[in-house]
Amino acid sequence: MSLRTKLTQATEFTVDETTGDARAGILTVNGNTMETPNIFPVINFYGGGRSESVFGGSTHRTVKELINSAERVDNVDCSEFFRGAMMSVGSLTDYGIGRDLLDVYLAEPIKERPEFRGFDGMIFADSGGYKNLKKGGLDGSDFELDLNQRQVFEMQKKLGGEILVNLDLPIVPEDSFEERIEKARKTAQNAIEFIRLSESYPAARFLTVHGYNYSMIDTFFDELQDVFGNMNIPSFFDGIALGSLVPKKDNKETLINAVQGCRKVMSERGLGSMPLHVLGISRASIPLLATVGADTFDSSSYIQAAINGKYYHSILKTEAVDDVDFSHCDCPVCSSAELRSRMRGNAEYRKDKMGPVAVHNQYVQMKELRRIRRHIRKEGKEGLIEYLENTLGRDDSTRKYAHRVVNESLGGYF
Amino acid sequence: MKHKPKVNEVNEFLEIASDFEDPLELLRESLSNSYDAQASMVDISIRTQPNGSDIVIDDDGEGMDHDDLESFFDLGNSNKTDSIGYKGHGTKIFYKSDEIVVNTTKNGKTLNAKMERPWEKLNNRELPEYEVTEDQGASSRSGTLIKIRGFKSGQGFDPGSLTYPKIHNYLKWKTIAGSTAHFFNDEFQEMEINVTLDDDIDDSRDSLTTTNKFEFPDEQLTPGDGQFPAERMCKRYGPDEIILEHENGTSKVQIVGMAAGKKARNELPTFGRHSTQFGVWLAKDHIKVERLNEAISHDNEFIHFLFVANCQDIELSANREKIRNKSSSVYQALEEELSHHLSKVTHDPWFEGYLDARRQGEIARKASSELDKIEDRLGKVRSEDLTEPNNRAEILFRLQQSGTDQHGYSVTIEDYQPADEVTAIVDRNGNLEAAAVQDSLYAHFYDEAPLEPIDVLICWEWGDKDQLREIQRKGYLGADVQFDFDNNRLRYENGVGETGECDVIIVSEQVSQPQTTEDESTVSPATD
Repeated sequence: MSLRTKLTQATEFTVDETTGDARAGILTVNGNTMETPNIFPVINFYGGGRSESVFGGSTHRTVKELINSAERVDNVDCSEFFRGAMMSVGSLTDYGIGRDLLDVYLAEPIKERPEFRGFDGMIFADSGGYKNLKKGGLDGSDFELDLNQRQVFEMQKKLGGEILVNLDLPIVPEDSFEERIEKARKTAQNAIEFIRLSESYPAARFLTVHGYNYSMIDTFFDELQDVFGNMNIPSFFDGIALGSLVPKKDNKETLINAVQGCRKVMSERGLGSMPLHVLGISRASIPLLATVGADTFDSSSYIQAAINGKYYHSILKTEAVDDVDFSHCDCPVCSSAELRSRMRGNAEYRKDKMGPVAVHNQYVQMKELRRIRRHIRKEGKEGLIEYLENTLGRDDSTRKYAHRVVNESLGGYF
Repeated sequence: MKHKPKVNEVNEFLEIASDFEDPLELLRESLSNSYDAQASMVDISIRTQPNGSDIVIDDDGEGMDHDDLESFFDLGNSNKTDSIGYKGHGTKIFYKSDEIVVNTTKNGKTLNAKMERPWEKLNNRELPEYEVTEDQGASSRSGTLIKIRGFKSGQGFDPGSLTYPKIHNYLKWKTIAGSTAHFFNDEFQEMEINVTLDDDIDDSRDSLTTTNKFEFPDEQLTPGDGQFPAERMCKRYGPDEIILEHENGTSKVQIVGMAAGKKARNELPTFGRHSTQFGVWLAKDHIKVERLNEAISHDNEFIHFLFVANCQDIELSANREKIRNKSSSVYQALEEELSHHLSKVTHDPWFEGYLDARRQGEIARKASSELDKIEDRLGKVRSEDLTEPNNRAEILFRLQQSGTDQHGYSVTIEDYQPADEVTAIVDRNGNLEAAAVQDSLYAHFYDEAPLEPIDVLICWEWGDKDQLREIQRKGYLGADVQFDFDNNRLRYENGVGETGECDVIIVSEQVSQPQTTEDESTVSPATD
């Protein structure tokens, strides 16, 4: 096999502070930097519409307008909360578009479009493996596309993705050992093709792995390595993306096991210095998983919560948006009289009410991540322990997980 | 015109004194008084008399003056402000007696007080009076001697009911003798406590000597050897002082405790079931009051823990047995803080290791028990001492081992459905046959099981042949049945008068007989 190793100039990840197993660092891709731990909010840049509607997407559209500081949203600028964004190839057909519109969407990279002028963040282009698992490919109104690695990469490239993952085959809880092995091997074959296809494309390449605990992830790596032969993972990949955790998103015990297990496997295989991205997990799990060593996250929950009328007070506490007193928040959304009015229901379309709520929710997540980074960077473990104690440790549903990660990753209480 | 509400003094005294149900509460109140009087030593003796118990409490505290004596006898008129007995209720338990005598010396002045027949008078709706006299000579020793005669202890202080271990347990769990204050307070005042029971009550020892300090067992952080590796494991937690914030301000809670195995827990003066003594205790004045075991999540048994959380802002009922401000914000904050604190403990890797050691011990004990059983079974196999099978599967297994039946057919078991009437499908000389399997042939008839779908009846033994003959004589469910004991067959008549037949295999006879087979190659190899 003759494969070119990664374009080292494209990506750099440095860990400059650790507290227990938690780490704070800087991820640089093509000159764009992001402090870690951090989150890539999911944005459907393409949501069924055309140029004049910022390519649509209902609530996503309003989010994009807030990133653009558009007149439609009272010129409120929220671009600073979107230093990165997750866009999945799989979401391109979520709105039942035709083939012609897909071609329009893929005609230009996201960051080169004037429609997205306010966005200058890092684009994490997911391969859509999870969507592929559920639907078996992309399903438009007048076309069907069986997703294969070549097609996925072409779309990731056309979207202007800066962090790319190979096309993976996520596992599901019902999978047998043999099924997981088969998925690992197919993922490995895709990963090899992905390397070949992307050898001259300047992006960070993340290798997807799947499993719920150390042993599953170790086996997954074994199978990958078996297919890779003498291919050394760090020479070809810039990071690891841990997937298949969405069905377990409410099971924090499993999430902790998975991230702890993944970090241990990575460390044992000499991959400890690579960034670890956790696919599809956010909110209250972020402090727990950052404490056990996750570096980046992505999730659409900020927008899903808004669509369901939920306004974040913190990553733990939500309130029905109709009952909220916005004066307690100083984010740009809640500071705008016009947007407050819309969130109270004085909006023509539901998206104009929920879009600002979504961006506020993202602001809360970003603020929380800033606090986490600050505590990791502080000397000693007390700051991070105290943070966990006063947040997750004070909530009945998350307390035991906070205590677990303090005990296991920060040296414990006693 | 304004009216003052009236108080029926006699009823109030009677009510408060009656609230003290356990006679041991007298010890708690006496010790609290001695502690408040800054005694360094207190002796208590209990003697049983026909009309109740005679109790003497003698301490070297600062004694009482006239005002203090008034508080001692009055109700709700305590001179104390920041001490245990500030309500002036506790000593009213002494009223449940025939006589109270107090000799007390404070600042060189000795006062003697006496109250006669207090309980009888209260019950006659009469307020008992007490008389105080003053000794003329000065005394250099301060302290208080209280003699309670005829204390109405019910059967609580009877021989067999009251023992030194029981008193020791009560002292450490319910009185200032079990104080955890010394873990927190540098100015802790130590008090030696001696309790002497009359030999008629418990003559197992001369007396019990302890202090007012609750001491946890020594730590042992690693598992031990033997069958119960976690039984002596013990880890102490705290002392921790936490400030609670609540609606009405702030409160301090002082928490100290341990997690431990049974053997380590038994190093404490336990008495009776651990489930009534261990868990999370809320305390005031460092005297344990009530448990809040809900503070430990359901998957961790509270029995492994003994935590004491002292908070001076909880309020107690008159007899100190209950917390009465449970709906207050301070109590709710306390509940929350304890749940939080105990969650840290139950997720301590040491505690998880302790639980693992317990499980490992359990598995090792199971393995050891299985090994004993295996030895037993091996012995039986080696001696060819074939015991009766315990279930149908064993009967089939024995038959399969034999390889042939009494009809000379080779037999293999092809299918087994223990819940069905046709329990097995067997291959007999190449024919698949439906088989019922029973402990005995008689059991099949006793159970009124059907015959028609069955090709062969596989039984461990015949059962009572006379009972079978009776069935043959009287008929089976109104139809004829005939047993051919010599040829292992039975014939029967079905519901429409047709005749059926089936073979009977008596497995116990088969496995104890030398095997006879038409085809030697189908026989299982004999053991040698």
